[in-house]
Amino acid sequence: MNKSVINKRAGIMAMAFAVLGCALGIGRARAAADQPQTPPVYSAPALYNLGNSYARAGKPALAVLNYERARVLAPMDPDIQANLRHVRETAGLPAESGHWLKQHSRLANPDTMYWLGVIGLALAGVSLLLRRLKVGHRSALAATASVGLLLTALGLWDSVATAAILDESVVMQPSPASASPIAGAEPLFTVPQAEVVSVRDEHGEFSLIRDSSGREGWVARGNLTPIMPR
Amino acid sequence: MNPPRLGEMTMISPLMNISPVTKISPVTNISRFKRLRFKQLVAATTLAVLLAPIAFAEPQVTERIVPEKISLGEAAQLTIATSGSGAPDITPPMVAGLEFVAVGQSQRIESINGVTRSSTSITYQVIPRQAGIFTIPGMTPGSPPLVLTVNPGGGGSATPSGGSAPSPAPNAAAGSQLPGGSTRLAADGSAFVRLRLPKHQLYVGEAIPVDIQVGTRDGVVASLNGPPMLNGDAFTLEKLSSQPDRSQEIIDGKPFTVFTWHSALAAVKPGDLSLTMETPLTVRIRRALPPDGGLFGNAGLDDLFNDPAFQNFFGASTEKEITVASTPAEFKVLELPALDRPAEFSGAVGHFTVSSELSDNKAAAGDPVTLRLHVSGTGNFDRVNTRMLHDVDHWKTYAPTAKFKPDDEIGYRGEKTFEQPIIATQPGTEVLPALEFSWFDPTTGHYVQARTSPLTVAITPAAADTSLASAAAGASNSTTAITPATNSAANSATNPSANTAPDALRPDHVDSGRGSDSLRPHYFQPPYLAIPSALLVALFGAWFGVHRREQRARDLESAARRNDSLQTEPLLKLMDEASVRGDSELFFRSARTALQRNLASKWLKPPDSVSLEDVDARLGAGSVVARVFKLADEAAYSGLKLSSSDFQRWKQLIIRQISGGETVA
Repeated sequence: MNKSVINKRAGIMAMAFAVLGCALGIGRARAAADQPQTPPVYSAPALYNLGNSYARAGKPALAVLNYERARVLAPMDPDIQANLRHVRETAGLPAESGHWLKQHSRLANPDTMYWLGVIGLALAGVSLLLRRLKVGHRSALAATASVGLLLTALGLWDSVATAAILDESVVMQPSPASASPIAGAEPLFTVPQAEVVSVRDEHGEFSLIRDSSGREGWVARGNLTPIMPR
Repeated sequence: MNPPRLGEMTMISPLMNISPVTKISPVTNISRFKRLRFKQLVAATTLAVLLAPIAFAEPQVTERIVPEKISLGEAAQLTIATSGSGAPDITPPMVAGLEFVAVGQSQRIESINGVTRSSTSITYQVIPRQAGIFTIPGMTPGSPPLVLTVNPGGGGSATPSGGSAPSPAPNAAAGSQLPGGSTRLAADGSAFVRLRLPKHQLYVGEAIPVDIQVGTRDGVVASLNGPPMLNGDAFTLEKLSSQPDRSQEIIDGKPFTVFTWHSALAAVKPGDLSLTMETPLTVRIRRALPPDGGLFGNAGLDDLFNDPAFQNFFGASTEKEITVASTPAEFKVLELPALDRPAEFSGAVGHFTVSSELSDNKAAAGDPVTLRLHVSGTGNFDRVNTRMLHDVDHWKTYAPTAKFKPDDEIGYRGEKTFEQPIIATQPGTEVLPALEFSWFDPTTGHYVQARTSPLTVAITPAAADTSLASAAAGASNSTTAITPATNSAANSATNPSANTAPDALRPDHVDSGRGSDSLRPHYFQPPYLAIPSALLVALFGAWFGVHRREQRARDLESAARRNDSLQTEPLLKLMDEASVRGDSELFFRSARTALQRNLASKWLKPPDSVSLEDVDARLGAGSVVARVFKLADEAAYSGLKLSSSDFQRWKQLIIRQISGGETVA
C-alpha cells in the first residue's frame, strides 16, 4: 500500500480517536455542569479529619468507618494508615483490617487509576493500530503501546483491589453473630465494634458476615455500615 | 366481624339492598322458595336443613342506634339484631320526623358441637327531617326505647342528587375540612368518583390536600379493582393513604358505601387545567326475570327477587368491569413569579416556620457539633431543601442530612429537620451565622425569606491536639505540623504499643474543599464503564477495518500476479525462441512487453503508457527494467549481438523482476 495513503489513514484514525476522546471529555464536563452545584461530600482530608474527630470523641466505630473511607480515596496516605492502626489497636482489634488486596496493592485514588487505565487503553490501542498501518517509528510505537498496556493493567488491578471493599462494612456496636438469620437465634460469637467485616449474603434484616479471623455468622444489618455507601 | 373460630360454621349473606323502605321478610321464611327453579330449590333446601335446629333456640332481640346525637342533614344507623328461634319479624316503628331506610341485612349461622344458632341483623339509616329529640319505641315487648338527638344546623353537606344525606363516617380522617365536590353517578348508577378540593387556583409546585371519594352502590358493585388513578400528566399525586376511610351515604334514596382516600395534589405546569380521577371496578348486572313476573306473577315479590343482593345470592346476575370517572375539576395554575425570587429558593411552596439549634453550645476544637434547622408547617415538603452553612471561617462544614416527620398521613403537614455536622477549627467564642430559608407563600403571592437567630458556641482547645490551628493557618505551616506526625508514624510502625495515648493521633489535614459527590469509584458506575467499553469497541472496529483493507489489497495483488503470469508466459516462450535463434531484437522487445505489463498492473496504468521515463523516475536509471528498455531500443536500431550465456543471464534477471525480485542489475 502507498505510504502516503497509509499516513493519511493513520492521521484520520488518530483524529477520530482524538474526537472520541474530546467528545467523552465534553460529555463528562457537560454532565458535571448539569449537576446541581452541591458541596463536595467525600474527600480524603475531610473524611480523615472526621475520623480524627470521632477518635477524639471516643467513638471508634465511626472513626474507623471514616478512616476506611478516607483510605479508599487515598490508599497510600501514611497518616490515615497510622491513625486507623492506632484506633483499631486502642479498640482491641488487630492493627490491619479488611482484605489484603486493598491494603497492599492500591496505589492511588481509584478515580485517578480509572482515568489512567482509560488513557493507557487508548494509548496502547492507537499505538498498535499505527504499527499495523506501518507508518514508521516502530520502536517508539512499541514503547508507547507497552506503556499503555502497563497503565491499563494497573487500572484493572486497582479495580479488582477496590472491588474487595464493596462488600466490607464496619460494625457500629458489639453485635451477636448467630448461625441463622432469625431474631433470637443462639449467638455463635460477638463481633466487636469497629471491626471491619465482609458481607457475604443478606436475608431479611440480617447479613452473613465474615470477620478478620474467618468466623462467619448472621448479624443484624442495622449494626453494620458499609464502607462504600450504596 | 370476627372470623369464625375453629369448629364453627358461618354463612353470611351479602349486604342486601332493600329499596325503598323497610318491610323485609327474614330469609327464614322457607315456604316462599318452594316454587323456585330446581337449582334455587336445592339451595333453599340446604338452607332449611341448616336452619332447622334453630327452632329449639330461644329468640333474643337487641336494638342499637349510633350515634345518639347527630346534626340535621346527617343520618344515624339503627341495627336490629335477632337471634334464636321464633324471632319475630321486626320493623321499625313510625316516628314523626324520622325516616327509616333499610340498607342491609346480614345473617350468621353457627354450628357448635351439633348445636346450630342463627342471628340476623338488619341495618337502617335513620334520616331526620327536623331537629329535636326523638324517642323510638322499643320494638319488642319490654325493650327500652331509643333516643336520638338531632341538633339544628349541624352542617351535614347537602347532597346534589337531592334528598340524600351522608351518614357519619366512622373512620373518617379527623380534621378533613375539604368542601364536598360534585357527584356524578356512572351511567348505570352503580358508582361515582368525587374529588374534594380546598381551592381551584394554585401555583406550580404547590401541594394541596385532596380527598378522593369512590362511592359504590351496595349490592351492585362487586369489587373495586384498584385505587383511583390520576387522568393526565399535568398533575402529580402523592401516595394515597394506605387504607381508605369508609362511610355510608344515601343518594337518590339508594345507599352507597363511600371509600375516601386522602392525598396531596400538585400541578407541574401552568395554565387552565382540568383534572379527573377514575377507578376500575366490577359491577353486577341483573338478568331480568320473565316479564310476567316469573312463576309468581306478583309485583311485590318481583321487587324482592329483582333486588341485586337476592339475585347475587341465587346467581341471577353477571359481572362486568367498568371504569368510573369523576367530574372534571377545573384549575387555574399560575407560574411562580420570577420577580424577587431569592437565590436560595429551592421550590418550597406553602406556609412554614423555621428555627435552628445546636446539639451543644460548648465543644472542643476538632469535635463535631450538630447544627439543626427545623422547617415546619404545610406545603410541598419534598421541595424543602437547604445547603445550611458553607464556607464559614474557623469551621469545617459537611453536607446536611434531612429527615421529615409528617403530622398527617399524606405528608402535607409536618416538620423537616436538617442536621449538619460542623467542626470548629480553633478555640474561642464563635458565632455561627444565621441560617436562611426561603419559600413562596401562595396566600400572599410573595416570596418569604426567613432567618434564624445567630448561635453562639464556646470552643475550648482540643485536649491533646494542637494541629488544627496550624492546619488552618495555611499550607506553609502544614509541613511543620505533619513532620512530627511522620516521626510518630515511624514509631508506631516499629513499636505499636508505644502509640496508644489519645494524642498519638496524627494531625488533621488541610482540606482543599475539593471532593466528589460519591465514594463509589468510577469502575462501578455504569456511565463511566461505558467509556472504556466505547473505546474498546472503537479500537476493535478500527483494527478490523485495517485488517479487512489489507486482506482486500492482498487479494487484489495475488489476482494481478496470476493475471501477469498468464500474460507473460507466451512472451517468455518468445524470449526462449529468440535466444535460440540469437535474435536480440525479438528477445528484448518481448522482455520489454512483459515488463510493461507487469509494471502496469502495479502502477495501475495501461501497459503501453509505461515508458522509459516512468521507469527512470520510479525505479531509477540503473534498474534492470530501465536497462532492458534501453537495450530493446538499441537492439531494434543497431542490431545488438549477444552470446547465449548473455541471453540466459538477462532472462533470469527479467524473470526475477517480474516475480517481484531485484530492480538493479
